[in-house]
Amino acid sequence: MIEVKELTKVFGMGAATVEALRGVTVSIPDGDFMAIMGPSGSGKSTFLSVLGCLERPTEGEYYLDGRDVNSLEDDELADMRNQRFGFVFQSFNLLPRHDILRNVEMPLIYAGVSPAERRRRAEKLLTQVGLGERLKHKPSELSGGEQQRVAIARALANDPLVIFADEPTGNLDTKSSIEIMEIFQKLHQDARTIVLVTHEPEIARYAGRVLYFRDGEIVKEEANDELRRPDPDCLG
Amino acid sequence: MNFADLIRIVWDNLKAHRMRAVLTTLGIAIGIAGVIAVVAIGQGGEAAIMSELESMGSNRYFEIGPNYMKNETADSKTFNLQDHVLIKELSPAVEKMAPITLGPMVDLRLPNSKEKPMMATLYGTTPDLLAGLNGSTEQGRFLTDADVTAHSRVAVIDAGIAEKYFPEEGALGKKIFVQDTPLTVVGVMEKSPSSMMQALSSRIVYAPITVAQEMLNTKVISQLCGVAVSEEALPQATSDSLKILEKRHPGVSYMGSTMEEQLDMVNNVTSVLTLIIGAVAGIALLVGGVGVMNIMLVAVSERTREIGLLKALGARRRDIMQQFLGEAVALCLLGGLIGMAFGIGGAFIIALAANWPPLVSVWTVLLALGFSAVVGVFFGLYPASRAASLSPAEALRSL
Repeated sequence: MIEVKELTKVFGMGAATVEALRGVTVSIPDGDFMAIMGPSGSGKSTFLSVLGCLERPTEGEYYLDGRDVNSLEDDELADMRNQRFGFVFQSFNLLPRHDILRNVEMPLIYAGVSPAERRRRAEKLLTQVGLGERLKHKPSELSGGEQQRVAIARALANDPLVIFADEPTGNLDTKSSIEIMEIFQKLHQDARTIVLVTHEPEIARYAGRVLYFRDGEIVKEEANDELRRPDPDCLG
Repeated sequence: MNFADLIRIVWDNLKAHRMRAVLTTLGIAIGIAGVIAVVAIGQGGEAAIMSELESMGSNRYFEIGPNYMKNETADSKTFNLQDHVLIKELSPAVEKMAPITLGPMVDLRLPNSKEKPMMATLYGTTPDLLAGLNGSTEQGRFLTDADVTAHSRVAVIDAGIAEKYFPEEGALGKKIFVQDTPLTVVGVMEKSPSSMMQALSSRIVYAPITVAQEMLNTKVISQLCGVAVSEEALPQATSDSLKILEKRHPGVSYMGSTMEEQLDMVNNVTSVLTLIIGAVAGIALLVGGVGVMNIMLVAVSERTREIGLLKALGARRRDIMQQFLGEAVALCLLGGLIGMAFGIGGAFIIALAANWPPLVSVWTVLLALGFSAVVGVFFGLYPASRAASLSPAEALRSL
């Protein structure tokens, strides 16, 4: 359960400050699939960063399962990102110098998992996303969709409860986008919480709930019951 | 993150920029090679000089000469041929004493030889000198008092000369020309214990001082060489000699030196030299270290986004720190190893050329490697802490 109250985030100092978030209050129950939409500069990515503990809010409260996140030390936040969260980015952010097996192993290395165990887990995850035959390939040898699947496998390495995805289909073609969203749907069915930032309505349809951001505030929230079954034609 | 993972990550990262890594490494390598070579050459040279000095005289040996600290030089009035006799009689601490008239560069050749003369050093002296030298004659005899008083045209040559001129037939009784004066060889000195020192030491001919003075047409005695009755009596022997000489030659200033003092002096000179050249090499190492820091800062700013990602994946501050410090240390150690190879190689080549022992001590090598690691830590610390302090979101936003 994620609960934030009156979150604000101010960038810069003195006269040149930008208010990226101006008091955001929302709670995300476990197992929720939430999409965040809004024009660029609306603060949706900043919101995701704060939720993912990649950035501390300027003001406001943040509770994760009742625990006060703002009071945690940097290293405790690092452990939280490692154990509880998984991240998927628009530009994949794979390590170009390592093969994909190593990429998926990275969070496990920081978690202190033994080499044999983490290899087993990474192989299993990559097999699940259909890349079991290409463990030794470098990211540059894969297509965009495949790279994003590696990134998802990596996000799942420590079996986190929450997946944060920032425009995960932004760099992908339609076919790959559908594949990726189907994976997210499956993760949602596995009772994981998913928070996804997008500006494509077709992608937001997969979510059960959509928050609309504008100028650092939530301007609209709608449940998505009728849209939960996406019409593939809309994507085409 | 365990050590094996760290090594692998560091290695993959360095491999990605091979050329850059090699060039950065080069700076450290030059520094380390310099330090190791300089120290080894210094120690080798020192050992060579020391063992030569040690082979020259015993621990009871001392020398009296004009006080060069007061710009005094030896002339015909500094010593005369009675001084050493009197000192021996008057001082109970002095067991032996011999004057030396020195011909630093004399021509040496065989009779009727068309060969180019050999350059040698002529020691005009008396029988007592033998006690001061750390050796004895291998063949024949040393000079005698009779040789000195009778102005006998005889010579004692060192083993090097005997080997060169009389390789098979033996030198005793043969004639050699010293400055065109024929001398009969009556003795050959034994070989210096270390063959390496043999090549360093100049070729020496000993002749009765009376004959040498005639040959060189001089009355100058450059120094007195003495041997005290015991090591404990050495200071007494030196001061007695000085007192007697100053009474006999008013206005002349003398100074005495013992073997120990000479060893100390050589030691001082060589260690100062080693220190200076070592410091220059150390500066090269420092410059190499700045190169490493520079490249690490470049790496941090190039990989800012990657650092943000690693933090998102759960890397703690310490993990990032370790990774970048590891890269800096790896660069420096790699440079250290390459430098070590070149430094040791250089030291051996120079030792071979200069004919002295190649002294590469384990300590020098360990110290140099340790120092290169320290350079890595020192110059890697700032870039690494910069990388570790980046905020993950901010780092991820950077291009």
